[in-house]
Amino acid sequence: MVLVLIALPLLAGSLLLLLPQNDRRWSRSTGCIVAAITFVLPLAAGGSGSFSAHWLSRPFAASFDFAWNGVSLWLVLLLALCTFCAILATNMVQARTMIALLLLLEASMMGLFTARDVLLFALFWDVMLLPPFFALLWWGPERKTAWRFIIYNFSGGLLLLLATAAFGVLSGSTDVIGSTHQFAGAWAPWIFAGFAIAFAVKTPLWPLHTWMPATYADLPPPMVSVISAVQSKAGLYGFIVIALPFLRIAMIQWSALFVALALVSLLYGALIALTQSDIKRIVAYSSLSHLGLIVLAIFCFNAIAVQGAIAYIVAHGLFSASLFLILGYVEEREETRSIAHLGGLGKSNPKLAGAFTIAALAALGLPGLAGFVGEIVILTGVFRAGYFWPALIALVPIVLASAYMLRLLQDTINGPEVAALPKRRDLTVLEGLAVAPLLVALFVLGVYPAMIWR
Amino acid sequence: MMTANYVALATVIFFIGAAGVVVRRNPLIMLMSIELMWNAANLLFLAFARAWYNNAGHIFAFLVITVAAAEAAIGLAIVVVVFRSRTNVDVDEVAILKG
Amino acid sequence: MMLLVIWLLPLLGAIVNFAFGPQLKRSAGIIGSALVGVSLIATLAEWAPATTGAGATLGVRQHLFAWMPGFDFGLLLDPLSLIWTLIITGVGFLILLYSIGYMWSDEAIARFFAYMDLFVFAMLTLVLSDNFVGLLVGWGLVGLASYFLIGFWFFKPTAVAAARKAFVINVVGDVAIMFAIFIMFAKIGSLSFSAVFAHVPMLDGWLFWTCTFLFIGAAAKSAQIPLHTWLPDAMEGPTPVSALIHAATMVTAGVYLVARCWPLWNASHEAQLLVGTTGAVTALAAAVLGIAQWDIKRILAYSTMSQIGYMIMGVGVTAYQAGVAHFFAHAFFKACLFLGAGIVIHELADEQDIRRMGGMRARTPVAFWAMFAAVLAISGVPLFSGFFSKDQIIYGALAHGHPWMYAAGIVTAGITTFYMFRLFFVTFFGTYRGDLNPADVGVEHPEEPTSHEPQHGATHPPAWIMALPVAILGVFSVIAGYVMIGSNSPWSRFFRPVFGFEKLPPVAISEIWTSVIVLVCVAIGFAVAYWRYATPEALADAPARLRAETHRMPRVLVRLYYFDDLIDLIVVKPAQALGTFFGRLFDPMVIDGAVRGVVSLSDAAAERIRDWQDGLLRVYALVVVAGAMCFAIYYALQGAAR
Repeated sequence: MVLVLIALPLLAGSLLLLLPQNDRRWSRSTGCIVAAITFVLPLAAGGSGSFSAHWLSRPFAASFDFAWNGVSLWLVLLLALCTFCAILATNMVQARTMIALLLLLEASMMGLFTARDVLLFALFWDVMLLPPFFALLWWGPERKTAWRFIIYNFSGGLLLLLATAAFGVLSGSTDVIGSTHQFAGAWAPWIFAGFAIAFAVKTPLWPLHTWMPATYADLPPPMVSVISAVQSKAGLYGFIVIALPFLRIAMIQWSALFVALALVSLLYGALIALTQSDIKRIVAYSSLSHLGLIVLAIFCFNAIAVQGAIAYIVAHGLFSASLFLILGYVEEREETRSIAHLGGLGKSNPKLAGAFTIAALAALGLPGLAGFVGEIVILTGVFRAGYFWPALIALVPIVLASAYMLRLLQDTINGPEVAALPKRRDLTVLEGLAVAPLLVALFVLGVYPAMIWR
Repeated sequence: MMTANYVALATVIFFIGAAGVVVRRNPLIMLMSIELMWNAANLLFLAFARAWYNNAGHIFAFLVITVAAAEAAIGLAIVVVVFRSRTNVDVDEVAILKG
Repeated sequence: MMLLVIWLLPLLGAIVNFAFGPQLKRSAGIIGSALVGVSLIATLAEWAPATTGAGATLGVRQHLFAWMPGFDFGLLLDPLSLIWTLIITGVGFLILLYSIGYMWSDEAIARFFAYMDLFVFAMLTLVLSDNFVGLLVGWGLVGLASYFLIGFWFFKPTAVAAARKAFVINVVGDVAIMFAIFIMFAKIGSLSFSAVFAHVPMLDGWLFWTCTFLFIGAAAKSAQIPLHTWLPDAMEGPTPVSALIHAATMVTAGVYLVARCWPLWNASHEAQLLVGTTGAVTALAAAVLGIAQWDIKRILAYSTMSQIGYMIMGVGVTAYQAGVAHFFAHAFFKACLFLGAGIVIHELADEQDIRRMGGMRARTPVAFWAMFAAVLAISGVPLFSGFFSKDQIIYGALAHGHPWMYAAGIVTAGITTFYMFRLFFVTFFGTYRGDLNPADVGVEHPEEPTSHEPQHGATHPPAWIMALPVAILGVFSVIAGYVMIGSNSPWSRFFRPVFGFEKLPPVAISEIWTSVIVLVCVAIGFAVAYWRYATPEALADAPARLRAETHRMPRVLVRLYYFDDLIDLIVVKPAQALGTFFGRLFDPMVIDGAVRGVVSLSDAAAERIRDWQDGLLRVYALVVVAGAMCFAIYYALQGAAR
């Protein structure tokens, strides 16, 4: 059952790449059906059904072990939903290639999120870096960004692999995700450091973030929406399912550092987002800020904070995916990403403005939408864990978030219309359908968040 | 006592092969020298298999012969391709694959 | 069940108006206001159950669903929330009715009513919630509705900027309440009102901080100094918005919060002092600013700030029911003033500067009479509603031992009378000055009215639709105080189950004498206003006198005590400077510089090492053989050593 999640998008993606069929509609509907199946399947199976097969016995035990439950189920659903929406929103000339890459990305990350073996996790980690790399190479304005992305993230992946190998050799098995036995010893802090650096690069966490703004700005909208929504969660997922259960002692040793880095990320990202002029970079830096909050939650070792982190992982995925898709629509209409040259879009595009408003409000943590739930539960946990000052400082970026998100929103859709451009058509049905599921999910999880923790 | 003789012979053959690879500039001679080294290894396999009454050595000898054949095939192919466009046959001339 | 009806009907109105706006056109207004009207009727029907019971069983409760780990979301209607619900739905209904006329010729009328209904829903969430998180949700959502409505004319840059400012300052308040929630959850482990108030001692050392953070939220929402600067700017929104959100209901949420959390304030004397002082300072400072304004809506905005200062002072000194009483009276007379001003503004095609008005008595008689009643009410003239509620607060300040707040309250009463009659005389008396050259009356930069896009030749709304609500509110401005007469009034009996019975200690100046002193101040204020603006000579010479007053206005008042400049200097500018520094310099140079340093380091190293790879096959072979020899010799030596 689980294997279908990986095999189906892999198969469909490879076929799309290899077959000469080049009809945009055909590839889009194929992609959508595949993504929809991967969304419905885990729901129908209700988290049961796993797969396990022997792989290695020396130098340490490893197996092809996949399962979906708990955190991974939410990430699998988020991934499937975001992929579905991204494929639906794919509207470029080379749609077939993009959709194929999106499906391959989905396959690799499905593997990552369902793997129960750390070695498998590390392998899928490296594979998932390839689709965005090729997207950057083929669509990005600069090849440099692609190489920068891949080298930076592969360096992290290499450390992850080393740490995994050390972990496997010292503990005898890597088939451990889902169990809880503490790993201690002289090597534990080093193994944790290896994992942590890889995760921190991918998240990203200050100061390992400089690959991110250019990558997010240069990737085409469908790809960046999945990358920022789901791939950036791979590191956080790793912290939750690998570091927290097995390396907690080492984690506690390092926690002061990571709490500090998380706070710096929070403030630093928010301050930069306040003054950026490229709309995609504003959201990129806001991601740095928002994900810092999740890192803070994880390193407080408080059950409530971790629950909040899971809620916020889902919420951030939903609103950043929709924001990037919407920014793609804006860019397509206005042919610029510079905030100084945008304005008044709401007059001719009321639907686009409405969708943008909901996404931006979710991002700034409006009560009633999913982002708020994550923020308040995380910080309640952080405070309860005794971190008085971090909880207080973490409130500042929330205020800043409202400032930069409103700047982004208002300077795009409000104000006098930009006269130089002809009137643009409003959202088409297809474009609307591509963001609607994300926005509805933001509402539902904001009003009734208890379902996340069930 | 017997085994020691075989080992000595294999060592001599091996070093003849190694010297051939290092000293000669003709790629065909180099390939032949490599074959010599393979055979030195083979000789050892057989000698020890006999000394210890263990047939694994025989099996490995066959494996080595197979691999050596494959290696020779690839090596000759490369030699043919590389020197098709050249007049003389000298490995020192072919040094374009460098940093 | 009934609670759900009260709570959700306005939401239904918002959804219908959002979804079917373009088809509905003007009937959007009828749907939008009628649903709020039904909600009002439902509230009245719940009057009896909401006021029965005592302690934990007081009022009506409705459990909704589990919301977060550790607590559930529910609704509560007790006397305190009942009063707010009545004002929200009642005054809200009248204002919505009025809006049908006011927004008659606006294309986006359905969007307007959708936002208004969303606001009513959000405000009801705020006051009906039985826990702090629900209150915070409502708190954020009213901020959102306020943001939408201030920026309703979103093509107007000033409106957009005002909306953003209001939202961001209110988020400061939101996160402060959030922090108070963290404290309460960490110390008490629950967030429902009943549980928190039953375990106030568990907050021990954190009590003052809880109160402080709650009050920062209250101050941001209720425009108390120093978080007040958004309110005058918020007047960019349509006038009914100012009446409903920025006068009658939303800005009093801070009063509601403090009154709701009275067990916390009762336990912390420092918190009382903080809240009372802020209220008194705001009441006085805002009243002084009211003198210096010329925009009719801005005068009313500062008077709102000042009156809320009174309420905050009242609840701060633990005179809770006096504070709530003033909220009740204020809702009527301030809504009446705004709606009356709206009629005047409408009549003059969006002119808002009182220097360019004058003589409006004949042109807008309904507004004249209704606003006359409301001005008397806000001034605290006996027999009008403000008299009863305001004097209770002023006397309460003295009775609870805060003589200087008492003094501030009395002085403010005099100033209030002055600036309200100034507005009243300049607007309604004398002759119309709008056709004079703007510079002649002191207006240097006349604003181009841009708020409406009037469709000329379109139909006009029926006259009663705007007049009737104003008249009703005028009547209530007179009579709303009659329930508050005496120490055993219906009002105090109504709130006894909530706040308990409080007997004030006797003080040096009795309640009667307090009223006399206040009245003397009010009379002085009126006399000065009359002498400056309404004597026959003053009326004849109005343009010159207004021009002279404009030029003589102290700069500190014109610049609004420099609060905007100060916030800009110590918050906005540094944040932007830091953002620019990090984004333009630190990020690309230092952090990315380090990354690029690693890259160039490995580049340089590769430059050296690449020479070793010389492409000579025989050299490689030699190295391999040499390496193998090294290993062989090493192992041979080891074997020999063994």
